[in-house]
Amino acid sequence: MTGHLQADELLMIVAIASYVIGALALIAYFFAREEYLRNLGAPLVIVGCVAQFAQLIVRYALTGIWPLLNLYGSLSLFAAMSVAFIIFFAWRYKAWYAAGFVVAIAAIALAYGVTWNEGTMPPVPSLQSYWAKIHVPIVVSSYAAFLVAFVFSAIYLVKYYAEQRIAGVKNIAAEAVSDVGGVAVRLTPGYMMASAALQDAGVAAQPMQVRGETPALEAAAAAGNPMAQWLSSLPTLSQLDVIVYRAVAIGLPLISLGIITGAAWAKEAWGAYWQWDPKETAALATWIVYLAYMHLHTRNAWRGLRTNWVSILGFGIVVFTYLGVNIWISGLHSYKV
Amino acid sequence: MTAIRDSYEALVRTFGNVLFAVLLFVVWGILTMIGVIVDQGKDASVYFSSYPAAIARAILRLGFDNIYHSPWYIGIIGLILISLAVCTFKRVIPARLPPLRPVKIEKIPLHAQIELRGGEDDVRARVERFFSSRGWNVRKREFDGTEWSFADKHNWARRGVLIAHLGFVIIAAGTTVYWARGFSGDAAIVTGQTVQIPQTKAFIRLDDFRYTIKPILTKSGMVYQPIDYVSHVTVTGNDGIPRKMTVRVNHPIDVDGTLYYQASYGFATQFSFTHDGKPVPGFGDVVLKEGEQVAIPGTRNALVYDRFVPTVDKSSGMPSADPRVNDPAVVLSMDQSGANLGSALIDLHTPIALGNGWSATPQRYLLYSGFQYRYDPGIPLVGIGAMVLLAGLVISFYFLPARLYARVDANAERGTCTIGLAATTVKGYDIFETQFRELVDELRSHLEPPGPSPHLQPAEAF
Ligand code: HEM
Repeated sequence: MTGHLQADELLMIVAIASYVIGALALIAYFFAREEYLRNLGAPLVIVGCVAQFAQLIVRYALTGIWPLLNLYGSLSLFAAMSVAFIIFFAWRYKAWYAAGFVVAIAAIALAYGVTWNEGTMPPVPSLQSYWAKIHVPIVVSSYAAFLVAFVFSAIYLVKYYAEQRIAGVKNIAAEAVSDVGGVAVRLTPGYMMASAALQDAGVAAQPMQVRGETPALEAAAAAGNPMAQWLSSLPTLSQLDVIVYRAVAIGLPLISLGIITGAAWAKEAWGAYWQWDPKETAALATWIVYLAYMHLHTRNAWRGLRTNWVSILGFGIVVFTYLGVNIWISGLHSYKV
Repeated sequence: MTAIRDSYEALVRTFGNVLFAVLLFVVWGILTMIGVIVDQGKDASVYFSSYPAAIARAILRLGFDNIYHSPWYIGIIGLILISLAVCTFKRVIPARLPPLRPVKIEKIPLHAQIELRGGEDDVRARVERFFSSRGWNVRKREFDGTEWSFADKHNWARRGVLIAHLGFVIIAAGTTVYWARGFSGDAAIVTGQTVQIPQTKAFIRLDDFRYTIKPILTKSGMVYQPIDYVSHVTVTGNDGIPRKMTVRVNHPIDVDGTLYYQASYGFATQFSFTHDGKPVPGFGDVVLKEGEQVAIPGTRNALVYDRFVPTVDKSSGMPSADPRVNDPAVVLSMDQSGANLGSALIDLHTPIALGNGWSATPQRYLLYSGFQYRYDPGIPLVGIGAMVLLAGLVISFYFLPARLYARVDANAERGTCTIGLAATTVKGYDIFETQFRELVDELRSHLEPPGPSPHLQPAEAF
C-alpha cells in the first residue's frame, strides 16, 4: 500500500518537475529561438505528460476510486490533457514556441489542484455512476483545448498589436520630422528603436494586410529591430488564426459532447437532463461564446483580431465555469458537497 | 403593399445576418450568466438580504430570480430559432451550396498559373486526371465558349452547417414537447407511509430507507462522506399489481413511463401532545417533517419542528457534525402569529411545555425519503437532436469543402498552354493556403516530369 502511494507521489513529482523545467526551457525558446532550448523542453514536457497519465492510472489502480471526481483529480487531468494537446499542436504545426506558456499554465493548475488533495475519498452517491468516467474527461479535455486556443490567440494579439504599433510608430516618425514636440511625448525605448529601424529602412507605413501579413514588422525586422525580428519569426497572423480555429474546433465538439453526457447523467441522477444548475449553465455560456466564435469566424471581416478576442473572452468564461462556479456559487456540482 | 414588402425584406435581411445571430448569442450568453450569478428560485427576502434594495427589486421585477423561464429567455431562444431558419434558407444554402460558375482567377487570393508545352485538350485531360486520382470530384462546364473544370473535395460536408442547425431545432422541439405534455413533481414519503402521485395515480409506499455515511479522516479534519442512499418501496402502477422496487441515486425506477428518483432524505419526528396532563383525543400522535409546524388549539401559538440533530455532542451539549444517529435530539421553536418566540434543543422523550396547559413530547424519529418524479416524452427528441448537432459540428469542423477552378488557355504563338487555377473553401482562404501551395507544386511536378523538358519558367502568383 505504502509502496504504491510512493509510486503515485513519485510520478507526481516527476510530472511537476518536468513541467516546471520544460516550461522554462520552452518559454526561453520562445524568446531566444535557440534550438537546444526546444530540444531540452520538448522531451521534458512529454515525460511530464506521460508521468501524469501514469499517476492517474496508478491512483485508480491503488484506490479503486475513479480519480477525477474531485478538484484535485480533475485539475490533474486538465493539466495532462492541456499538455497532450499542445504536444500535438507543437508537432503538427511546428509550434513549440507556444508550448511553454501552455505547460506553465498547466503546471500552475496542477499545483493548485494538489492543494485540494484530500487523500482517498469514496465518491458521494451522485458521483457513483459510469457517466462520471465519460463526462468528466470529456469536459476537462474541452477546457484543455480552449487553453491551447487561448495561448495562440494571445500570441496572435501580441503580434497584431506589435504590427499596429510599429506601423503607427512609422507614421508618427514621419510626423516627428516636422514636429519635434511629437517625439518628446513618445520617448520610449521601443518607440525609439522601431522608429529608427523604420527610418533606416525607409519603409512607408502600410495598413494591415487582409491575408494576415505584417509588413511593418517585416521591415523593422529587416532593419535590425530585435523585437520585430523575434515577432516576425512567429507564423503569420493568418497561420496563427488557423491554429486557434483548429483548437476551438476540438474544444467546441468536446464541450458539446460534455454537455450532452452531463445531461444524460443528470437525467439518471437527478431526474431531469437539464436542471439549470450553475455549473451546467455556466458550461452552456461557454458553449455559446465558442459558438459565437465559430460564427464570427465564417465572416472575413471578423476573422482574426475580433475572433481572437472572443477566444480570450471564452477562456475567461472557461476559468469561471471550471473554478469560479465552485468557489463562489454553490450548486449540485460543487465538489465540496 | 411595398411598405410591407420593404419591412419584410428588412426583417429577413436582419435575421439572415450572421452578425445579428452573434448578437443574439451574446444576449443569450449574458442572460445565461445572470442566472448563474443570481441565485434562482429563492424567496424575495433572500434577494433583499443579498443585494442592495434597488438591485433586489430590479431582479424580482425583471424575473431574474427565475430567469430561465422568463419571457426574456424564452424570447431570445425564439429569436435565435427564427434567425436560424431565415439564415439557413437565405444565406447558408445559397452560400454553402453554390452552383458551378466561372471566376476571375486572379481576383481569388488562392490562385496560381502554370505554363507548359502541349495541346489544350491534352493538358486539360491531364489536369483533370491529376485531380480525380487524388480524390477530387471533377466536373466540366462550358461558359461562353470557355471550358472550365471544377474539382470538389468533401462537397457533401457543405451540409454540415445545415445538420448542426437542424440538431438545434430538434433539441428545441424536444424541450417544447416536455412543456406541452410532460410533468414533474416531488414526494417525501415517511417510512411506512403510502402516497398517491397526483398525475399518474400510482401508489408508492416507503417500506424502508437506509443511508450509509462513512467518517473519513482527511488532512482538513473529519469528513462524513455519504456513500449510499437506498429506498425500498412498494409501487402500484396502472396494472394494479404491487411490486417491490429499490430506488437509489443514479438508479431511478420506471413506473408506466414515469421515472422516480432518489432525491433527498430527512428525519420526521412523531410528537405526542397532552393538555392539562391528559392525552387529547385526535391529537395524540403528530408526525412532522423538518420545517413543518402544528398549531396549538385554542392559542395563537404553533410548535415548529425546525430540524433533527442526529448526534448531540456530550461534552458541549451542542449538535455535532456527525450526521449518523447516535444521540438524537430535535430543534423546536415556538411561533406566535408568525413571530418566532425562540428555539431550543430538546432530547427525544423529553416533554416541552407550550403554555395554556399544553405540552408536547418528541417520541421517535422516522426516516423519510424524498423522491422526484418526471415524465418527459421529449427526451428521445432531445437525444436525437443532440446527436445530430454533434454530427453537424464534427462534419463542419473536420471536413473542409474546397473547390478548385481550372481553365486551360492555349498560347498559339508559343505552342504552350496556361493553366489558371483558383481555390475557394467554405472557411476562407487562409485555412487552405498550405494545402493549395502543396497541391500546385505537386501538379506542376506531375505535369512537368524531370528530364530534358522545354526550359519554360512557370509563371506563378500567390
Ligand atoms: C444555436 C445553434 C446553432 C448552432 C449549433 C450552429 C452551428 C453552426 C456551425 C457548426 C457552423 C459552421 C461553422 C464553420 O464551418 O466554421 C455554422 C455556420 C453558420 N451558421 Fe450557425 N449555428 C447555430 C445558430 C445559428 C443562427 C441562429 C444563425 C442565424 C443567422 C446561424 C447562421 C449560420 C451561418 C450563416 C453560418 C455560416 C454559413 C457560411 O456562410 O458558410 N447559425 N453554424
